[in-house]
Amino acid sequence: MKLTILATAAAIAWSGTTLSAETVAVITPYLAQPGTQAYVEGFQAKAAEAGWTVNVIDTAGDVAAVISRIEDAVTQKVDAIVINVDPAQVAAGLQTAKDAGIPVIGMDAGTDPLLVTNVTSNGYAMATETSVYLANRIGGKGGVVMFVFDAFPPVQIRGVMADAVFANYPDIKVIDRITPDVQDGGIADSRAKMEAILAANPEPGSIAGVWAAWDQPALGALQAIEAAGRQGEGIVVTGIDANPQAREAIAAGGNFEASMAQDFVAMGAAAADATRRAMAGETIKEKVIYVPTVLITAANAAP
Amino acid sequence: MLKHLRQSGTLIGLLGIVLFFALQLPDTFLTARNLLNVSQQISMLAVTAFTMTIVMVMGDFDLSVGSTASLAGIVAAVLFAAGWPVWAGVAAALAIGVVGGLLNGALVAYVGILPFIATLGTLTIFSGTAFLVSDGKTIFGRDIPPGFAGFARSGVTLTEGVTVPAMSIAAVLVLLVVYVTLEHTIYGRRLYAIGGNVHAAELAGLNVRRLRLSAFALTGLGAAMAGLMYASRVASANPTQGAGLMLDAIAAVFLGMTMGRQGEPHVMATLVGVLILGILDNGLTQMNVDSYVREILIGGIVVAAVAMSSYGRARG
Amino acid sequence: MDSLSLIGLSKAYGGVPALRDVTLHLAPGRVHALMGENGAGKSTLIKLIAGVVPADAMVVRRGATAVSLRNAADAAAAGFRFIHQELNIVPQLSVAENILLGHPSPRRFGVLVDWARMHDRARAALAFLGAAHIDVTRQAGDLGTGDRMLMRIASALVVEEGQAAPCLYVLDEPTAALTATESAKLFAVMSRLTAQGAAILYVSHRMEEVMAVCDDVTVLRDGAHAMAAPIAQTTQTAIIQTMTGRQQTAEPPTGPVVRGAVACDAIGVVSGRLRDISFTLQAGEVLGLAGLEEAGQGDLLRLLLGMGRVKSGQLRVLGGPAPTSPVQAWARGVAYVPRERRSEGLMLGMDVRCNTLLPHLGSFGILARKGPETVRTRDLADKVRLRYRAPDQTVRELSGGNQQKVIFARAIAGNPRLLLLEEPTRGVDVGARAEIHALIRGLSAQGCAVILASSDLPELLGLSHRVLIQQDGRQAALIDRAGLTADQLLARVYSPNPA
Repeated sequence: MKLTILATAAAIAWSGTTLSAETVAVITPYLAQPGTQAYVEGFQAKAAEAGWTVNVIDTAGDVAAVISRIEDAVTQKVDAIVINVDPAQVAAGLQTAKDAGIPVIGMDAGTDPLLVTNVTSNGYAMATETSVYLANRIGGKGGVVMFVFDAFPPVQIRGVMADAVFANYPDIKVIDRITPDVQDGGIADSRAKMEAILAANPEPGSIAGVWAAWDQPALGALQAIEAAGRQGEGIVVTGIDANPQAREAIAAGGNFEASMAQDFVAMGAAAADATRRAMAGETIKEKVIYVPTVLITAANAAP
Repeated sequence: MLKHLRQSGTLIGLLGIVLFFALQLPDTFLTARNLLNVSQQISMLAVTAFTMTIVMVMGDFDLSVGSTASLAGIVAAVLFAAGWPVWAGVAAALAIGVVGGLLNGALVAYVGILPFIATLGTLTIFSGTAFLVSDGKTIFGRDIPPGFAGFARSGVTLTEGVTVPAMSIAAVLVLLVVYVTLEHTIYGRRLYAIGGNVHAAELAGLNVRRLRLSAFALTGLGAAMAGLMYASRVASANPTQGAGLMLDAIAAVFLGMTMGRQGEPHVMATLVGVLILGILDNGLTQMNVDSYVREILIGGIVVAAVAMSSYGRARG
Repeated sequence: MDSLSLIGLSKAYGGVPALRDVTLHLAPGRVHALMGENGAGKSTLIKLIAGVVPADAMVVRRGATAVSLRNAADAAAAGFRFIHQELNIVPQLSVAENILLGHPSPRRFGVLVDWARMHDRARAALAFLGAAHIDVTRQAGDLGTGDRMLMRIASALVVEEGQAAPCLYVLDEPTAALTATESAKLFAVMSRLTAQGAAILYVSHRMEEVMAVCDDVTVLRDGAHAMAAPIAQTTQTAIIQTMTGRQQTAEPPTGPVVRGAVACDAIGVVSGRLRDISFTLQAGEVLGLAGLEEAGQGDLLRLLLGMGRVKSGQLRVLGGPAPTSPVQAWARGVAYVPRERRSEGLMLGMDVRCNTLLPHLGSFGILARKGPETVRTRDLADKVRLRYRAPDQTVRELSGGNQQKVIFARAIAGNPRLLLLEEPTRGVDVGARAEIHALIRGLSAQGCAVILASSDLPELLGLSHRVLIQQDGRQAALIDRAGLTADQLLARVYSPNPA
């Protein structure tokens, strides 16, 4: 056990942090996701300028542990807490922070009265932009396949907007509304689902477009279309998020035509800005701070 | 002497960790509030680990506890959403845990599948069922009745500002029940006999199959309880939320087993294992230690403790 | 080839001598039988020359050259080949792979298996045995027992380049698993091997076989050399008498059997390997089970314990049908002392109290009550004269004899009416053995029926009222103890149905 204590001490020395100036805890269950890493980078860049001590805590998918870590951060008397998780699920921790007078800022988390504010992209706007793009490209008529994920609120709202847009075109028919299995990232299962749909709709032109609530299903659908040799039918595919793989596919000029770029780094920076204001004692009126997004097409896809 | 040192090594380790944090975090660590926080934070893991001890006493183990916990939370939430009263949803979720445990027990004891394989299979079955029942969605918000979510935030107030959380009390009750069952009933002694030598126990006329079946059912019940506590704490249910409980629970029992005279698990020793894991999480967070470093440390401690113990045993 | 001399072989385990100064001369081209009762030292001798157990003293000479045997590789290099009773095969691998197992496989480009060469070598070895009918590409698990044995022997025939040709084959109970036809095939192979000039050391309990195929015999008794002679110059009777050492026939059990209740009644029972089992056991009677190793004694006891199913015939135990599980058997008053006390009898890491009371814990209620349990344990421990420190002492810390007494204490704790014993004094010192025997006599006198399976003849004769002899699972004879001598019993064990 002596060994253990030595190891603990060494690890702590290694992490080499001292309590000085303002201390901010960033707590997320999703640090392994590329988007989350980008928020955190943007946040840390700003924090370094301001000279804050930032403690980034990843609970590896465990939401209850986020509550526990918020409690620990409150015990430690940090100056502010930033979370990247659905606030409704960690309400117990948020209440503890509020009771202790510590501001909690949401970084693409969701809106909640216990949060000072939430910094995010406008999901409604993003989904509207891609679904309208798709509807226009197919001339307002034809069969559309949708890939959605209603279990995750930020993605769920995208589906709602697309539903509304497509419903407003009388000649657009939604062939299927698919929730892919995302355990492997979503590409493989989306591809399999799309292959099944292609097989069920063999007539060229029977599928006019594929609208995906994020990029991975769009990439999977693209693979399925190409594997089936139906890339010449003019099926238009759109995604959201514009991840590097999606940008590459869009730049290649194939069926995958459009996606929306969220600026995660800017979101992190905006969250840092909101944190600064909250720590300075300012009352932030806007409960949601939107960071601008950009439609990505072959014209501007080069990363 | 060496033997006593080996047996108490893990306990000394726990005291060392507590002392270390007490010195490093003099203002915040050893406060009633923080310790009560810790007790609440570990309560779900504790319930899982305590009941996991029951099967591990027989030399078996159960990989499906995490998905049983998720499933129990989902079942309760779905029933709440369908308008069932809290008590009925909770009872149904606990029953699901028992049924899952009985399935594990039947596969292990009656069909004769190795626990590793049987419970790996049911892990996937329960997890798939949780996704199926919930449509893969997180159930939250208005679907979760305040009476259910309120449990995790309630407690017994001792003095001004010192409230013992209800979740901690629940974990202590489970601890006592498991302790009495394993250490002070004939039933528990029979489980230990199976762990000592399953073949001999059978030849000596113990109903080994039925004992194993019932022990797995108890572990399933405990996992369901932990799953409900989790759902109450996050006021929501998600088909994967219990997944992290399984490995930590097994790690806690293993840590405790280093304290057994013959390397056998005891639930009080499991408590020491749970405390080590929980206190490390709490203390290291407060010391701003990177979460990945924390994971490496916890894994290292489990391996070091078990290695020390088996090294000590090999040398007599 | 030169003859092989094994001189002065000695080995003690933990101070107990297993083999004492044994010398053996093995002539090329001859089959040498090694005989002796269980525990006479045959296995130890084989382990020493196989190099798997270091000898305390041993000189091995081939002609005038000394041969060093420090490990198994030395033995292989010296041309010694061993074929054991248990057919160790890897059932998932092909016959060819099994035959070449332990030899470097032929390779192609240094990494790929050269299947063609591998199959050729395996085929050549089988062909030499006259077993060319075995397909070397089949999975070994698909072979019948006879073919498996041939495969194992073929494996022993494989010689690496630069290795000496095999000069000694040690066959340990090779026919135990074979049918008569298969055995005949094996004997033909043996004569081919000896024709090539190899010596064969042949270990077997089957007297007729030894008399028919062997040229010389060495008999061991209690780890020491007792006799060596050419087979032609000795008789079966002489060999058996040398094995038993003209043991003083133990006193037959005193006191009459308490006639009355029938504890166990079997009529033509068939179950698993068991055939033709018919006997009636009275309360208070001790029935001995004799036979060669694994002749079905254990199967019969486990059937009575509820671990087997009666296929045909009738079996009644303690006034009811045969129990269907050990749980039921114990509940009905059957108690069992298993053969392997460590693997089947005890929870070594647990204390004396728990080990003793294990099947009877239910009688103390739901909660464990240390007080009454301790009292009961002390009481039982006194009855079996257990030498121990305290009821919470770990069983692992006890000596073998005292561990056995713990199992006895467990068996008598429920006041059984039918006691099943399997090798109850194996590996137990003389004092404990006498105490256990006294205990069995006492139980019998109180009206407990006992079935005693033992390979220890004086024990069988000293305790049993009648002896049931089994052969390959079949009941071969049921003999009254009165007037039976050790030699006669042993002769019946080796050939149960004298002409």
